[in-house]
Amino acid sequence: MARANLLERLHTIQDTYGYIPENEINKLSDQFDLPRSKVYGTIKFYSMFYTEPTGKYMVRVCDSLSCHLNDSEGLVTAVKNYLGIADGETTEDKKFTLEVVECLGHCGEGPVMMVNDQIYTYLNENRAIQILKDCM
Amino acid sequence: MLNFLKKDPILAIEDYDFTAFKQVLNTPAENIISDIKTADLKGRGGAGFPAGVKWELARKEKSAEKYVVCNADEGEPGTFKDRYLLENSPWQVLEGILISAYVIGAEKGYIYIRGEYVKPIKIFNKIIEKAEKKGLLGENILGSEFDFELELIRGAGAYICGDETSLLNSIEGQRPRSRIKPPYPIQSGLYGKPTLVNNVETLAAAVEIINQGVETYTALGTAESNGTKLISLSGEVNEPGVYEIEFGSLTIREIVEQLGKGIRNNGQLKFVVPGGVSTSILPQEKLDIPYSYEDIKAAGSNTGSGAMIVVSEENDLIDLMLNVAEFFMSETCGTCFPCREGIRQVCYLLENAKERGYLTQRDFELITDLSQTTYLAARCGLGQSSLNFVTSVLEHYRDELLQGGGQ
Repeated sequence: MARANLLERLHTIQDTYGYIPENEINKLSDQFDLPRSKVYGTIKFYSMFYTEPTGKYMVRVCDSLSCHLNDSEGLVTAVKNYLGIADGETTEDKKFTLEVVECLGHCGEGPVMMVNDQIYTYLNENRAIQILKDCM
Repeated sequence: MLNFLKKDPILAIEDYDFTAFKQVLNTPAENIISDIKTADLKGRGGAGFPAGVKWELARKEKSAEKYVVCNADEGEPGTFKDRYLLENSPWQVLEGILISAYVIGAEKGYIYIRGEYVKPIKIFNKIIEKAEKKGLLGENILGSEFDFELELIRGAGAYICGDETSLLNSIEGQRPRSRIKPPYPIQSGLYGKPTLVNNVETLAAAVEIINQGVETYTALGTAESNGTKLISLSGEVNEPGVYEIEFGSLTIREIVEQLGKGIRNNGQLKFVVPGGVSTSILPQEKLDIPYSYEDIKAAGSNTGSGAMIVVSEENDLIDLMLNVAEFFMSETCGTCFPCREGIRQVCYLLENAKERGYLTQRDFELITDLSQTTYLAARCGLGQSSLNFVTSVLEHYRDELLQGGGQ
């Protein structure tokens, strides 16, 4: 039972800081009596946990098959161009991090994009950029 | 009766009466299991294992501690029917969890919802809170001797957690790699205790079977596919969405044309992925088959999760193959070599082919070999099924893929 709650603890830390800082990894390592490498290995397995600070707005654009068939690639290109960053990068002003992600589970409403906790469906390039502008 | 798709979410617990669960509390558990077995309810998450058999085995396990887990880590591209149920029929999902726990004798359960499902997580947190207040979770539920506690676990972005053994590792706080089976979770699951893992739709369907009565339910469907199934219809159709259909009542082409209202922009249908990207495609000429486990299997594919992705002629096949292969490359847990390296090499070959514009004979041979090896040697369902899409496209569109060259 030793490691139970580790996942939820990681969520709480991530919710608090927006990422999982090294000193928190050290604390978890002590509390769960686990080598830091094991904590780190668990964190790195999940695509929604970060060990570095991310932008204020986490922009996730889905490019899995159903969205892909609805031109998510065009959406990805438009968002990249607008933000001036590549997949996985953060803008210089630390406002946006862009991730091209796997299925978000809104396959019937594609292409879709998530900005922090909010999902946006049936997007086109103009609407997506407007959504990003509204974050400014 | 097609009953799943109630449009307005019932969030007031007073409006939901838990009829099936109350009936279960007054019926010997063996009879309930026997009903689920007679109804031949197959797991709706993708693997299709008979739920009644699983319940029976779990009940027979002798252990002071048992667990039930509701698998709501819906991550197969094209699948969104569990999200629909969690958002629109959460009480029915809870009822299914309660029934499964009561029947096998578990006092603790988990519902594992993928991290991307922010709204379903919020809804289900409320559901648990309300159920606890109303005495539907906790001790002596509804005045019976049944105690049961339910905890929600948020996933954090890992498709592999849909595999039940990885899911258990994730709940335990381990790195969520798949486990080698046997032992199966039924014998040794969460913390080494007997654990019953069921998909969201399976549990909701169990409630329907009890509510409608096993005779009514089994009267629906075909010889080997009883009842109804939720289909997540997406891709290039005019009206994508979640549809409930009685097994055998429509052919796949009819689902595309009648429910999906045909291909958008008057496009030509090329193929359909019948059960999510881990299943083999069915080309246009094979779509006049009834939607059922047996007919789809006979046609060379699998019902999977019921995620039907419709693809028109207007696509670069290599691009689609690469898209699916990249999905699995990013989602493999990386533990076993055939899956990790097999998929990666297929991606390299497809990347080169995409740039070149066609596949060579050598690409064909290598991809076929890699796919077969991965299918035979990967240790979990994700790995084994990861290249079904790619291989089936190769098989059906060989000439087209070699066009423009080959040697």
